[in-house]
Amino acid sequence: MTSRELVIDALEFRSPERIPRQLWVLPWAERTWPTELAAIREKYPDDIVQSPAFLAKPLRTTGSEHEPGVYVDEWGCRFENVQGGIIGEVKEPRIAAWSDIDGLRLPEERLSVDVRKVDDFCAASGAFVHARTVVRPFELVQFLRGPENLYMDLAERSDGLFRLIEKVHRFFLAELELWASTDVDALFFADDWGSQNSLLISPDLWREVFKPLYRDYADIAHKHGKYIFMHSDGHIAAIFPDIIEIGVDAVNSQVFCMDVEELGRRFAGNVTFWGEVDRQHLLPYGTPGDIRAAVGRLGRAFDRRGGVIAQCEFGIGARPENVAAVFENWNRWPGL
Amino acid sequence: MLKEMQEALIAGKKADVESLVDRALAAGLPAARILNEGLIPGMERLGVLFKNNEVFIPEVLVAARAMNAGLGKLEPHLAKAGVQPRGIVVIGTVKGDLHDIGKNLVAMMLRGNGYKIVDLGVDVAPERYLEAAKANGAGAIAISALLTTTMVQMKNVVDAVEAAGLGIPVVIGGAPVTRDYANQIRARGFAPDAASAVEEIGRLIAA
Repeated sequence: MTSRELVIDALEFRSPERIPRQLWVLPWAERTWPTELAAIREKYPDDIVQSPAFLAKPLRTTGSEHEPGVYVDEWGCRFENVQGGIIGEVKEPRIAAWSDIDGLRLPEERLSVDVRKVDDFCAASGAFVHARTVVRPFELVQFLRGPENLYMDLAERSDGLFRLIEKVHRFFLAELELWASTDVDALFFADDWGSQNSLLISPDLWREVFKPLYRDYADIAHKHGKYIFMHSDGHIAAIFPDIIEIGVDAVNSQVFCMDVEELGRRFAGNVTFWGEVDRQHLLPYGTPGDIRAAVGRLGRAFDRRGGVIAQCEFGIGARPENVAAVFENWNRWPGL
Repeated sequence: MLKEMQEALIAGKKADVESLVDRALAAGLPAARILNEGLIPGMERLGVLFKNNEVFIPEVLVAARAMNAGLGKLEPHLAKAGVQPRGIVVIGTVKGDLHDIGKNLVAMMLRGNGYKIVDLGVDVAPERYLEAAKANGAGAIAISALLTTTMVQMKNVVDAVEAAGLGIPVVIGGAPVTRDYANQIRARGFAPDAASAVEEIGRLIAA
């Protein structure tokens, strides 16, 4: 059985032979634990991989995304960073006034994907392949407007904000349509919607402004016979039913911010839980024994003869023995 | 009129809050009463709504903007009447960390609840908290961190405050921070959200 078949069995609740897995790695881990990371990758290879972008035209960025200093992304957002290995923070909004929207340059280079190369990559890979997209409407408008401006725009339902959202959404639709025409297995979108204990904005406002965007993304994927995966950090229990309703196939969220058992009772069997294992406390400060207990908890809550992908992030502060324990224990599941 | 002011504040209606403050002053109400019975109770009620997930960050920010507009009208009158803030709080994000949304939210809610805020911004070294606390006669230091790697800096601030014999509480918060961690580094206060930070700081300053 290939990795791709394993992942599809998990997504379709067809009792996969083992829980498929995927490790997310931040540059910090590559710098801090290169030998340990290589060993983990060798022992637990990913069942899900992301296709290279194969862009014919390079993105117009300056600086380095994960180095101290200033990095300007392809949308013109300027990130400041003081810590290597992670991304910085936007301190000056690119769209300070609504008149700046007209001058906002779309990163058309993102649409210069060499489809044949992507298809060749998919054909050569036994893994389940994700598109290389960076579709994140909420985060992007946050970067463009600055967080505080954006939250006030949302409170006031500013016309300018809706013009800006429309502009970036149209671009993302084009990007997803393009990737949906390739042989990748799944499309992907991501936005961080939760704080530690609630949504950042009211669930009603989320449903009014952002849910329709995500529905469009899910529809594109399904129209082309692809799966759609979503990521959000934070406490997003309030919108889980909406995420399922629009047809998201797999959700990556910080389930340990929420009530794992309650999530399982309400949603297991209706969506695949694509990770994770607590990266705020357990991976940096826990022990392999804690990880074993956590994996057992996740398995009992979410596994319904499928519906689980063993994902975790080797990010800032995480201990390599804990990351390895995540996959070691998922391999043993349900025999923990 | 003061009740109406509270409602306008919670709804984030800046122009209404300004006009109600003007009307209250014109009606001869003392500035301290407008603050203590109009604006501050409005922010306190907003804090409860935020804590209960009945309002969210957008609503808090527009309410804080309305509060600041009202305070702007009141401040000359408060100064003239010699009204003192509830307390002075030095606030900042720890060294090595540039994240400031949470810190700004706490600062806004504290300001709205009658505290004077000395905001040191982001990437703040321990000695800067100390200097600012001494220079301003602060009653508390509030520190924020988003990253597991930067929250360890909080201990340096607590240690520096202890070593200097400053005797004021340090209150910590931020995504990875827990009450256990606060206990472990001997921080006297911990808050899981902005509204709780106002309560915790109020409790510690009053103690």
